[in-house]
This record gives sequence, structure tokens and C-alpha cells, in this order.
Amino acid sequence: MTAAALCLDPADNVATALRPLTPGDVIAIAGVAAPMLPVEPIPAFHKIALKNLPEGALVHKHGAPIGRLTGAVRAGGLVHVHNLKSLKACGSASEQRREGRDR
Amino acid sequence: MKEPAFFGFARPDGRVGTRNHLLILSVTGLTGPAGRRIAQTLSGAIFAGTPYGSGLLGEDATAHRRALTGLATHPNVGAVVIVGADEGSVVAVADAAIAVGTPAAPVVLDHVDHDALTLVDRGIRAGAALLKEISSARRVPAPLCALVLGLECGRSDPSSGIGANPVVGAVADNVADAGGTAIIGETTEWLGAEDRLAARAPADVGAAIVNAARRREALAVAAGIDLTGTNPSRTNIEGGLSTIEEKSLGAIAKVGVGPIAGLIPYATRPEGPGRWLMDAPAYAPESVTGFVAAGATVILFTTGVGNSFGSRLAPTLKITANPATAARLPTQVDVSVANVVLGKEDNAAAAERLLTHLCAVASGALTYAEIFGDGEETISRFGEAL
Repeated sequence: MTAAALCLDPADNVATALRPLTPGDVIAIAGVAAPMLPVEPIPAFHKIALKNLPEGALVHKHGAPIGRLTGAVRAGGLVHVHNLKSLKACGSASEQRREGRDR
Repeated sequence: MKEPAFFGFARPDGRVGTRNHLLILSVTGLTGPAGRRIAQTLSGAIFAGTPYGSGLLGEDATAHRRALTGLATHPNVGAVVIVGADEGSVVAVADAAIAVGTPAAPVVLDHVDHDALTLVDRGIRAGAALLKEISSARRVPAPLCALVLGLECGRSDPSSGIGANPVVGAVADNVADAGGTAIIGETTEWLGAEDRLAARAPADVGAAIVNAARRREALAVAAGIDLTGTNPSRTNIEGGLSTIEEKSLGAIAKVGVGPIAGLIPYATRPEGPGRWLMDAPAYAPESVTGFVAAGATVILFTTGVGNSFGSRLAPTLKITANPATAARLPTQVDVSVANVVLGKEDNAAAAERLLTHLCAVASGALTYAEIFGDGEETISRFGEAL
């Protein structure tokens, strides 16, 4: 079966969809042994959770953390800006400038 | 000797070239047109130069000297005609070339009563003799550790971070683990992943990497550009990227996963083999020229939607993982790894294919950027001039 998503590192808990994924389609993920079932529409190049992840969990891609979940995600769910927040952008020069402006 | 991987030109200083160019190098803007005329007249000669000259100050002056010397002494250069206005600046570069065993002919405007046509005549005659001399050089077997890679990306898209860059990273790891060298730049693209890069380097280097990323961010802030606030951009987010960490990890995937040896300033030759970070601007012509001046003999250049730039000195392989780009630009893309993004080929298989192609190019197979002569060496600028 042609892979419909790509997991870049064994430590990752998300994979990247290689085409739009539809709920209910059983898909193969390159780098992951077991097939997956998307539970919501995942647009191409967006991230699909490989397991149930609680709020506050670190999301790993490329073998490294890319942010923290602001809400729980089920296995097969979409991980994107609506539920994932950067760990950076606080303490950086840009962020300090933004905070300064907001005050 | 280690197992031969490619056929290259063994240079007297121990480095191995992947090409045997006659370089016409103009060390000042004034003699650029004359240098181009010389190169146009001599079959196979290539031109490089700078539009600037006297009046460069501080970091600009030292970086320019370093870059021009790096080009003149480059292992892909069999011989060099150095064209300039005054004897001092020309001879300084010529001496550096001769010191590494590269035949060099200085051609100076001051010596020809400031007549550019006479300068062209002298350059053509000197260059013709050098071309004849270097044409008898033959390629010899060389191990993978003799390769110095420059790693670049330009016009990236969602296929870059998950496809082309990790495949290039696997090749960079392969070359570095064999004792070769790989250089990555584009400091702004480390932002958000600078801690990951730092963790792969010795402690003092790690601190310097973080400082370099923060300094570049401060430059952007001072110019009114908010790198982390607008990064990833709206287009990035629509493409599926959620955070700056994710975007940067996709960019730095080009330098693989192994240890980082050190951080080097723009256009500076690394002190040894391994994976090196160059603190440099991200714009492809400046960035690639920085790698070439540092001694990169092949450039691995990934693109999402396409980018025509290639170095004149170092063969530049254009690599994409975007199937549409590979189909749309068949005379720009040298290696397509689109099957990774189509789910039909894994990273390791694509990397093995790219490595085979890389070794063929290092042995003389042409890239499209060479065939079309797209791109020209562009030395970066840092500040104002007098």
C-alpha cells in the first residue's frame, strides 16, 4: 500500500499527511508499522496524531519537540495551530518587543 | 587509501576539486566588465568577481578579501587570471593562489595606462596559456571524505521540510561520517531550532550558535521585521506548518542529525572535516558564494517551487520533493525525490540515489545550472562604504 502519511523519526508522535486524508480511510504511514484511521479531515502536509495525546503534551516531529498541545487530541486527529503552541517566542527579541508594544 | 567514491582533481594542498576551471577573477568592480570579456573569449573559462572595491570598511573589507582569496584558491580552480585596478590588491590574491600551488596570472589596470582594452588583451593571452596548461590535468580516484558540501535551500514549500531536506541531511550525514565536510548557513532559519543545533555542538560552540541566531533576529527586529511573530507565515500555516520550531527543524534537516563541529563566519574555510554552521545571510546567491569561498566543491540545493541559482565554481545540484515542480522544471531539477512525498520511496533509498548522483556530478557529470550558466558568485555586504 502506498503510504498516505510520513513519520520522520521513531520518536515522533505525529506524522505528516502526504495527501488529504478522510475520516474512516485506513491509511499506511511510512515509518509506522500499524495502519491508522484518521478521525477528522487532515489536509495535505498537515499533521495527524499517532496516538491519544493529552493537553499539555509535547508534540514531536523531526525527532524534536515542535510545541505543546493546548487541548487533547485523539489518535488520528489533526494537530495544528488550533491546538498546538510554540515553546519559543517567549524571551525572544521579537516577543519582548511585542509585549512592550502591548503594554 | 579509503574506498574511492568519485574521480576528482588532486590539488597540491591536499584538497580534491570536482572541476578544473580556469577562473577569471575580478577583485574590484572597476575591472568586472574586462574580466567578463576575457572569460567570454576563452572556451570554458568562468568569471567571478565583485561590484565593489576601495571604500569597503571593517567587516566588509575583511570578508571581501577572505571571499576573493577563497575563490582564487578553490580546489575547483585549476588556474586563475586575477584582474584588478592596483597591483597591491591583485598580487595579494595571486600570492595566496600560488601558495596553494594554483598557477595565477595577475593583470593590473595600473600597468596598462588604465586602458581596459589592453587589460582584456593581456588577460586573454595569459588565460589562454593557463587553459592550455591545465587542460592536461586528469581526474584521479578520491574517497568520500574528500568532498566538501554546501547545503542550501531556496523557494521552499511544504515538500521541502519533510522530503528534500531530510534526504539531503542523510547524504550530509553519510559524507560527514565518512570524514568529509558539510556546511549549512542561513542563520535566520535556525531560529526556533538553535537550541537543538547547540545541543549537537561542543558547549562553547553551542553558545556561539545561539548568539548568532539571536543576533540575526535582533537585526530583523531593528529593521522592523518580526521573525518569530510572523513565522511561520500565513502561507506556511496554510501549508501545514504550526510553529517556528517545526519550520526551522525542516530547514536544518539538511545538515543531518550528527554532531556539529563548529560555527564559522561568512566565507571562512572550516578548520577540519564534519558538519559546520556558517553564520550568514539566507539569500541564495550570497549564501552559496559563502559556502564556495569556504571551499565547498559541490552544492546540494533543495527547492520547493523552483530556484534557478547555481554557483559557477561548484556544481550545484537542484533537488526537489515536489512532484509538480519536478514535472514542470525538467531542465532545472537535477534529482527528484518526489517519490518520498508520494509515499513510494523511503528516505534511505532516496538518499542512496542522491549520493550516487552526487558522486557522478563530483566526477564531472554536469548539472543544469552549469549547462545554462545560471547564477554568479555574489559576495555578501555588511555595512556602508566610504
